[in-house]
Amino acid sequence: MHKEGVKGFPYYVGVDSLSEIATKDDRVCVLNIVGGESRTVTPVSHIYSGGNIVFGTSPGRSGQKLKTSIGDIPVYNSVKEGLAAGHKFNTAVIYLPPSGVRDGVAEVVRKNPDLKKVIILTEKVSVRDSRIVRAICQTNGVDVFGGNCLGVADSWNHVRIGGALGGNAPEESLLKGSVALFSNSGNFTTTIAVYLGTEGWGTTTSISSGKDVYIQYGPKEFTHAFHNDDRSKAAVMYAEPGGYYEHGLKFDKPVVACVVGRWKAKLTKACGHAGSLAGSGDNAMAKEQWFMDYFDCDDIYTPEKPVFTKKGAVVTNIAHIPEALSKVMEANGIKPDFEPTGDLSLKCWMGNNQGLNLPEELDVPVVTAMEPYDEQIEAIDKQVGAQFPRQAMKDTSGASMMDPKTQVTKVHKVSILDCSKKNLEENLVFSLMKEYPEERATKLANLAFNTYVNMNGDVALAAADASREAENSPNTVLASAISIIGKGRAKKATAAIDLMTELFQHDKVEDPFAGDGAARAGALSADQKAVLTDGEDGSKFLESAKSLGGDSMFIQLLDAATGGKPSQDAVLGAIWATVGWSGLMRKKISKLTMGELPWYSLVFSAFVGASVPAAKHTADSFCGVKSDEIIDGWSFTETAFLALIGKKPNKAELFEFSVLLGLIISNGPGTISAQGAKGAVSADGPQDPLRVQINKAFVGMLTHTGFAHGGNGYEAVAFLIDLFKSSGLKDPADKGHGIDLKAIATKYSRDYADYKKREKAAGNIDYAKVPCINHPVFKGKDVNYDPREQFVSGLFNDKGIYNVFLDFYHNIVQSMFETKVTKNVYCVNVDAVIAVILLKMVWGLYNDGKISDAEVESAGFTTFLFGRMIGTAIEADDHQNRGRNMDTRTAASKCSYVG
Amino acid sequence: MQLTGLLWGGKLLERVEFPTAEVLGPEASVDEIKDLIKRKGQVFIKPIFKGGVGKKGKSGLIGRASDITTAISEKERLYFAEHVHGTTSAKADGVTFEGGVAADHEVYFSLSDSTEFRAPVMTITHHGGVDIEELPADKIKVVPFDPLTGLKSFHVSNALEELGAPKEIISPLVQNLPKLWDLYNNYGMNMLELNPIRMSPNKKGRLVPVACDFKGSFDQDDPAWKRLELPSHLFASDYSEFEQEINQLRTYQGQSDVFVMNDKGTITAPTFGGGANALVTELLGDRATISSDFGGNPPYEKMFQISQICFKYWLKQSNVLFVIGGKANNTDIYETFRAMADALRWYFQTYGPTPLYVVVGRGGPNLIRGMAYMKDTLESLGLPYRVFGFDSAMSEVVNYALAADKWMEKEGRKQVSALIGA
Repeated sequence: MHKEGVKGFPYYVGVDSLSEIATKDDRVCVLNIVGGESRTVTPVSHIYSGGNIVFGTSPGRSGQKLKTSIGDIPVYNSVKEGLAAGHKFNTAVIYLPPSGVRDGVAEVVRKNPDLKKVIILTEKVSVRDSRIVRAICQTNGVDVFGGNCLGVADSWNHVRIGGALGGNAPEESLLKGSVALFSNSGNFTTTIAVYLGTEGWGTTTSISSGKDVYIQYGPKEFTHAFHNDDRSKAAVMYAEPGGYYEHGLKFDKPVVACVVGRWKAKLTKACGHAGSLAGSGDNAMAKEQWFMDYFDCDDIYTPEKPVFTKKGAVVTNIAHIPEALSKVMEANGIKPDFEPTGDLSLKCWMGNNQGLNLPEELDVPVVTAMEPYDEQIEAIDKQVGAQFPRQAMKDTSGASMMDPKTQVTKVHKVSILDCSKKNLEENLVFSLMKEYPEERATKLANLAFNTYVNMNGDVALAAADASREAENSPNTVLASAISIIGKGRAKKATAAIDLMTELFQHDKVEDPFAGDGAARAGALSADQKAVLTDGEDGSKFLESAKSLGGDSMFIQLLDAATGGKPSQDAVLGAIWATVGWSGLMRKKISKLTMGELPWYSLVFSAFVGASVPAAKHTADSFCGVKSDEIIDGWSFTETAFLALIGKKPNKAELFEFSVLLGLIISNGPGTISAQGAKGAVSADGPQDPLRVQINKAFVGMLTHTGFAHGGNGYEAVAFLIDLFKSSGLKDPADKGHGIDLKAIATKYSRDYADYKKREKAAGNIDYAKVPCINHPVFKGKDVNYDPREQFVSGLFNDKGIYNVFLDFYHNIVQSMFETKVTKNVYCVNVDAVIAVILLKMVWGLYNDGKISDAEVESAGFTTFLFGRMIGTAIEADDHQNRGRNMDTRTAASKCSYVG
Repeated sequence: MQLTGLLWGGKLLERVEFPTAEVLGPEASVDEIKDLIKRKGQVFIKPIFKGGVGKKGKSGLIGRASDITTAISEKERLYFAEHVHGTTSAKADGVTFEGGVAADHEVYFSLSDSTEFRAPVMTITHHGGVDIEELPADKIKVVPFDPLTGLKSFHVSNALEELGAPKEIISPLVQNLPKLWDLYNNYGMNMLELNPIRMSPNKKGRLVPVACDFKGSFDQDDPAWKRLELPSHLFASDYSEFEQEINQLRTYQGQSDVFVMNDKGTITAPTFGGGANALVTELLGDRATISSDFGGNPPYEKMFQISQICFKYWLKQSNVLFVIGGKANNTDIYETFRAMADALRWYFQTYGPTPLYVVVGRGGPNLIRGMAYMKDTLESLGLPYRVFGFDSAMSEVVNYALAADKWMEKEGRKQVSALIGA
């Protein structure tokens, strides 16, 4: 049952000519206009068509507007509401999700008596809904296009209705001409239009028909309208297998048909296009034959074998369409519409052989791309350093992640267990460079760090002292100092490193030791030279730098440009330019990070420097060691150890200390300390990245550590001290200590068992637990292991390093089991490792009464802060490069009130 | 999503109270089979294939027995029967025992959506029991009808009368066949075929239509079939492990199905767009591992997961990674390329480097940003590559990928391996 439309059809067809499909008079209503896809596509259609969309619908969003550059489109809850507001339309575009399409069509048909056309863009509409849509529209005299299509367009009328036919710049592909286009593939509609242009053919009306089982506006209707459209001298039809739509056609004007999909005959399920699953009679070869019969061709057209007649040609490759069309039109005495625009030959926009010897047919050269892409590519090539897209980085990190199964955190994709095999300076460089430095870079980094450790006379040191005196915890003490290491301290060095980056960035030299810096010196302007000399004298610093990395092009430049008398800040800048250069050139780090390196460096130095009271900084010594000695020969790890323990570490101590720091680096972005750092960056607004205060990020971490987080290692230390203080232990590193660890462990376990029984009997379930054993993940087996502790124990064994406290811990988990305190052998967890290394470090001093319990606790906390400093650099740099302003905020709706 | 056989088909027919032959499943006991033979005179033993199996050739794979010994030996013969049809083969997993239905008349009936009429159609003939394609047109009636009103009794009676069907079968068919529309329409079917329906006399001597076979398929895009609570394993074997894994990510927005074309293929081509999929799959032929369509603007996370799965299964054996599509209308090239590049990097980090020649052909929004990101990744992985814009004919880009594959096969793979330390 259908309305009477155009004569000659056993069903309703309203459109009589292609010129009626997308006209300037059509007025459009878009259903689900503010949905994801419509939001970007609809404005383009609206603008291209000169403003033909009168309103859109989206339930619950009445009053909203879809903004376009030629005016806002009003949004209503429903079609009824829009019509009541006085709008009129004859075409509906459906962007609803599959389950809503049928009812959307029903709504618009019922509510709008003026409705003449419906275009359904939605993919995956069920067959059932499609047949119902058809029935409804047939009954009411409405033409339907789609489903699963990209809409319709008319280049003469400059109108596009529906979807993204022609992309986001339709005037580029929809050139005015004489060819009508009907395509089962949405994307290929645009592609074919572009291809036609290469032979000088433009389009009249283009229709993306979709390829569902139901193609609502099919080839028969198209052919009729094509015949009645005087503007269209020929048509191109792109068809896929499945369905009898192309059967029984009769053409009065030339047509080129492209049939693609012979391979689909092998399929038993639809692939890509839902309707392209063919039986035996409607597969690709059958359709090729139908078209060949219409055109009296006995074969497919190919450039090698051009088979065609005046009536048309059949191709199986869309690239052959333009040529075939030209031949057919020529046979009809019809000339192309315009001069060819472009061609379809292979044009390589980017490529690299990577040094391989490629055969000729693969070794196609890179050519300049068409506008505007050529400019964009040029800009990309000029880009120096990595580029990171920005996103909300709340509880998110691009640099650290904890594996929930193994509980091991990775930073820059390296497990912290592997990081712990490296020392502090290597890890600090790694935190920012994302790769470990080579030897010269490490030495230069040490120089930079150590040069600024002695803070004698620095007000930041006085602030730390005042804070310490007021009985603040170590983190607060450090925060007081770091708060002073602001932008003002770093800006000159940053200016220097920025200048050096500018000078060398396009040289395409990756290795900073391979360029010629001195040659550049002459070309510097007076202003530029001033940047390199502005500030305290740095000649001595330069000399030290030259001795370590004299062939760095930056140090060479500095030396030559300033006659050996650069500023202190400029040398710092040159050192970091050297360390960071390769990473910048290989786009591992961003230019932003490069510029911040000196600031990070100053903060690292201050961490170590301010961790000791001002009394230990004299004009020429630090913690009793001559500053020059430290600067010229010590590693930063040794300096940090000196600050903590008061002496230079031996080889084993150095190794253990490095392992300790490595284990503490990070536990992912969810730790409170990481949240503090990230919050500080977020609050400064990383989208304006130069406003981010690097030192404040570290203060954020510091204020977000405390006695429970970071300072809690002391519990285990206290536990061990208690057990060992009267044991007579002299040297924890000596295997032959002569102490009966098993006895101590067994006694303790028995005592603990009694204690536990008593507490439980008294109804106290909050009894003290033995610190650093057991773990929520590594439990339940007969004998449990924390793989991280295992890893470290293994490392120590390999190096022949012995730690009596660790040995004791292994004893105690065994005794707890043997005395039936625990049901199985608990693991010794990684926090124990931290505690035992620390205690071993300070045991000598403690035993001799040289440091107090409080100082041991403070040393433990400070050690944690040194290790976490590495992780903070990682997160702060990550957040500054990748975060959005205020992204760590929690929405009020996610907060609860428990008053 | 196809379903054949009365084991499950019978249950569907029961929902609309359409009579079916009595069916026992593969777990039927000897006593149950004996009893069925006793009551019905004979049983048909049919192998159970998952999904759809071609109609021809199934003969020879149907057993018939009027005694228990034959029935059991037929069960043995057919339980794991293999059926080859075209390029696919299916293995049976069990048999059904269907009670024989004595009848003088056999009817063919099917429902489907016709592209000729663009409406649902009933196909019916009283010359049933044979292959419908072998009957001359004048012996079959194809009747389109309005989906809003459905299949009505008069459609059936008119058709049978015009065919000159025997009077005695018309009334029972008129009463029962319209029920099948309820099944078809309400449960998301797009094909339903009963061949044969045997007109069997009941106790009162009146003819009752009994379905003696069932063939149906469901529209993937219609969730109504889920109401049938059919066990998912019925359709599961339609897909390989890879296809199942990736199709879990299928939503209505973006990413149609992915199919394994050749599990020994050497070109892995994530493709964007239905048209591109058709062209690329056609031209790559057997060289392609998969055929895919990832168009429709999938977001980063989804594209990343899809790429991970594809690479996990196919990258190791591939010579060429071929990212191809036309000039996208919607799909954000930066998001999709970033996802694929990151997945490639992930693959190298997780499984180690693998020699690849990378070919890219694309157009669309954020094109250069996307290409640049891909390029940076390929540079850092050290792989040779070529990136083409949408102004190169897609078929030429495909030909280039084929040439790259051939070179890799001949000598390139070794060279690239040495280059990247694979």
